[in-house]
Order: sequence, then structure tokens, then C-alpha cells
Amino acid sequence: MVHAGTAAPAIEVIDLKKTYRGGIEAVKGISFQVEKGEIFGFLGPNGAGKSTTIMMLTTLIKPTGGRAAVDGFDVVKEAYRVRTRLGYVSQDLAVDDNLTGRENLILQAHFYHIPRSQLKARIDEVLELVGLRERCDDRVEFYSGGMRKRLDIACGLIHRPSILFLDEPTLGLDIQTRHEIWRYIEKLRSENKMTIFLTTHYMDEADALCDRIAIIDRGVIKAIDAPSALKDQLGGDVIFFRFSDGSGDAAAATMAALRELPGVKEISQHGEEKVVVARNGDLLLPQIFEAAQKNGARIESVTLKRPTLDDVYLAHTGRALREGAGGKEEFRRQRMAMRRARR
Amino acid sequence: MRAERYGLEEIRAGLRLSDIYWVCWRELKKFFGQRTRILMAVIQPLIWLLFLGNSLTGLTRNPFASQMLGVDNYLVYMTPGIMVMTSLFGGIFGGLSVVWDRHFGYLNKLLAAPISRAAIPMGKMLAAAIQSVIQVTIITIIATILGVRFACGPAGFLLIVAIVFLFSFGVSGISISLGAVIRSQETLMAIVNFLTMPLMFASNAMFPLEAMPAWLQTIARWNPLSYAVTPLRELVGQGLWSATIGKGLLAMFIFAAIMSLVASRQFRRSIA
Repeated sequence: MVHAGTAAPAIEVIDLKKTYRGGIEAVKGISFQVEKGEIFGFLGPNGAGKSTTIMMLTTLIKPTGGRAAVDGFDVVKEAYRVRTRLGYVSQDLAVDDNLTGRENLILQAHFYHIPRSQLKARIDEVLELVGLRERCDDRVEFYSGGMRKRLDIACGLIHRPSILFLDEPTLGLDIQTRHEIWRYIEKLRSENKMTIFLTTHYMDEADALCDRIAIIDRGVIKAIDAPSALKDQLGGDVIFFRFSDGSGDAAAATMAALRELPGVKEISQHGEEKVVVARNGDLLLPQIFEAAQKNGARIESVTLKRPTLDDVYLAHTGRALREGAGGKEEFRRQRMAMRRARR
Repeated sequence: MRAERYGLEEIRAGLRLSDIYWVCWRELKKFFGQRTRILMAVIQPLIWLLFLGNSLTGLTRNPFASQMLGVDNYLVYMTPGIMVMTSLFGGIFGGLSVVWDRHFGYLNKLLAAPISRAAIPMGKMLAAAIQSVIQVTIITIIATILGVRFACGPAGFLLIVAIVFLFSFGVSGISISLGAVIRSQETLMAIVNFLTMPLMFASNAMFPLEAMPAWLQTIARWNPLSYAVTPLRELVGQGLWSATIGKGLLAMFIFAAIMSLVASRQFRRSIA
């Protein structure tokens, strides 16, 4: 118990490696830390090593190199303690269809050795949290994909873990349900002070939920930072604008004035369209108008484009996220999960 | 592979019976939740007894055959055989639940929980054994209705239950050990089917050893099925006091113990 205290980071990974039998290097020496109370995301295509990493951290497979600690406990040497501290929600929708929602939770509670006296209260608590109170005595086979996912998340929460692992939490779910799941995840962090580690290949998910993300590609971490910082690293926002006809010299004077504004990195011109690359484009917009007014030019149209995580991903890996080809096993698992989610 | 070091908590978890109980609870809950499965559990032995038992009653009209069977009613000979066959079928498909649990991710969910690895195969084996005991009780009732008199009486029935329980526990251990290694349902089914028929016919479950050619007799004598059938047959036909009963019970106990060790080890090795 010496090292497990407030001082230890929630997750600490040092040079972690996994080479499967047959020589496939799924994870090639990654290092990162997740602080307590953080939502940390692993972003990458299928087969990038996301699930392999999460399975090593949840003690399901053993690393072939490096080390990892969850809540201060080593995932190999102190696997049992690690298990008592983490909640794991896989991408498989691993709830038992033949049992009712409540029965699934009863089992889960007993597997985590929750005292009988607390059992009912705990189950009601997580059912309330994911909004499954009314349907909890129905068999899971009659649940929709979203309800199954919510039940699966409830299972992962029953023992009040300090760290929750979510592997592709919204894979195969419709947009409405995805936003619902996001709300639960945010609620867990804000109300329960839980640390959340999630993997996703959805850009918008990583962007909306995560405090920090790691971009992982072919078993290597390419970048780790807050989503906004990652986007800033690309050079910032891009502003396109056009002057009204006949602005002439006034336009030229305006362009010269823009060069002096703070945050402007680059100005170029494609035909009539002027292009400004700048940090904090939203703050720059009013200043562009002011400069135009001062010099007597009139602006006809303005577009502000902020870089998306897609652009970040492309910049770091040299390919778009959707192109990534996953392993056969991962592909099968995902298809299976999607089928179950759509029922 | 580097051995996992066990802390005190983990050792305690290894002995925690509640983990076994809850794995078993899940299997039984599923069993009782499926009406067709319960119906099949009743109908299957009924069909065996009615069709196979009756179609061969002619055998006992032949005095030589009757002597060889040691009974004058083939149903009396057949009932223990059907009990063992039913528990063979009940146990041998136990591994499918492992493959299935792996397939839809439940196995990982179990493995991420702080339960001992061995509790998973043991719980499933316990569930298979309990299901077999239920089926054997049904067979006993049906056989009694069909006119089979159990020479061993109610106390002997408990011995029958004990033997069947241990046998089915062990057989499902074989299946679960296979299920821990084989990842496809089809392959496991093929292997299990391949095992079942020879196990059944190369035993004294349906026909007496004396009616077999010598080579088959040798196989049948070593077949674990025969070890279960022989004492059951004595219990049903002769009564409580027979030397083979203790021997059979001991053999079954050893079989069950070995298979729990093998299944637990297989499970720890190939899954965790």
C-alpha cells in the first residue's frame, strides 16, 4: 500500500511492448501518464494497438516488455489488486443476453465481492445512473443496442472503480445514443471524480470528451496533448476572405496592416481570395474588420476554418483515420459488437 | 512465460468458493431460463428409454442373452447406461460455453474481475454436474414408471447421484480444457462429436462386455464411461452392497479431481 496513494498517477506506462506469438508487434514501446480525474483518449485506426494496450492495462494479456501501473500497482506483479481498482467496459457489449439486466448486475457485484448488505443499493445506484431502472427486470435479449451498452457500463461501475477503461464506448451506436453515452461519461468524471481511459477511432468523440489524447498509429504514440493544443500545433486557424469590388488600394493597405497583427503567421492570396493562417482566428476576425474599415476597404465574405482532429491525425500519421486496416481478429470483434449493438 | 507472483489477496481469492458459486449460478440461471433446454432435458432420456430400451427388449427373451446381460429385463440393464450417456452429453458440451463466452466478450469481463481464474472452469463444471443430476433424477422417475425396480433403494439413489455428479463434473472438465484452447465453436463441436460416439459404444453402457470382441473389450475396460456404468448397474440391478460400488466411486472421484486440476491449469495457461 506504500506506493498507492494520492501521489501515484492513475496510469503510468513506461516503454510498454506487446509482441504476439507469430511476431506481430502490436505495441512497440509506448510511454505515457494519465493523471487522476482525467479523461484520456487513445485515438487511432483499427489495428493501431489501442485494444492491445487496454488489455495489457486491464491485466487481460501480459506485456512482453516495459511496465505499466494502474493506481500505483503493477499490472503484472500485482494484477489482482489492479483488478479490484479498475472497471472495464470492452467494445464487445459483453452482457449476458439470457439474463435480465438486474441479474447481470447481481453477478458483476458478486464477482467484485460487494457485501450483501450493500448489494441492492449499489445496483439501484448504477441503474439510476444509466437510466435503466424501468427495464432492469427484462431479459437483455429484448434490449436495444444503446441499452445494452448502458448496462455494460453500469456493470463496469458497480464496484465504484477509481479508473474506468472504455474500449470504443460508442462503436456501432446511433448518433443520439452516442451523445447520451458521452453525457454519462462526463457525469462520471464531474460527479464521481473518476479517471477515464478510453479508446476511440471517432475524431469527434476524442474531441468532445478527452482532456488529453494520444494519437497512436501502428503501435507507436505519435503525439500526446490536449485536443486544442494538438490542433494549434498544426499552425492554427485559417481565415479566408474577399474584398468587395473596387477596394483596390484600400485592400492592399489593409493587407499590409494585417501583417502587423499579433498571431498572424502567414498571408497568401489565391486569386481574389485572401488566406490568413493565424493562431486564435476567432480573436483575429474583428481585427481584420477594423483594419479594413480604417483603410476604407469593404469585406464581402469571411470564412473561419479551424483545424479538426482529422487534420491533426493526417499530419501525424500521413493517412486519414478511416483508411487504417485492422487485424482480422479486431475486425471480427468489431463486426460482432456492431451486430449486437444494432439489434 | 514469466510466472505471476501471487499476493496474499490473490491466494485468498484462489480459495474463494463464492466465485465458483456465482459462475455456476449464471450457468444454471441460463439453463432454467430456457424452456426448450429444460424440455429437452426431460424428453431426451424419455426417448432413449422408450425407443432404445423397448426396441431391444427382445434380447432378454433369449436366455443366453439374458444371462450375458445379467438381468431379465433389458430396461433394467439399459437405465444405468442411459444415465451415464445423458451425463456424458451434458458434460461434454460444457466447453462450448467457454468458446461462446470468449466470442461475445464475457470471458474477458470475468477475467478483468478480481476472481480466481480457476473459479471459471470449476463453476462451469459444477453447473454441468448439477444439470446431469437433475436429468438423472428425471430418468429415475421415468424408469420407475416404466417398471424398473431400483434394487438399491432411496439410499442407493444418493450413491447414483454422487457417481453421476462426479462423472459429469470430470467430463465437462475435458470439454472445458479443450474450450480453453480451441477458439472456434465449429472445431470444438467436431472434436466433441468425434469423442462422444466412440466413448459411448466402446463401453458397457448399452451392451455387455462379454458380447464384444476381445480388442473392444480391452478398450471398454479402460473407458472412464465403463467405470461409471458398472457401479450404477450394480446399484440398480443388485442393490447397495457390492464391491464395485466403492471402487467406482473412488475412480470417479479421482477422475473428477484430475480433470479439475487439468481444466484449471489449462485455463490459467491459455487464457490469462
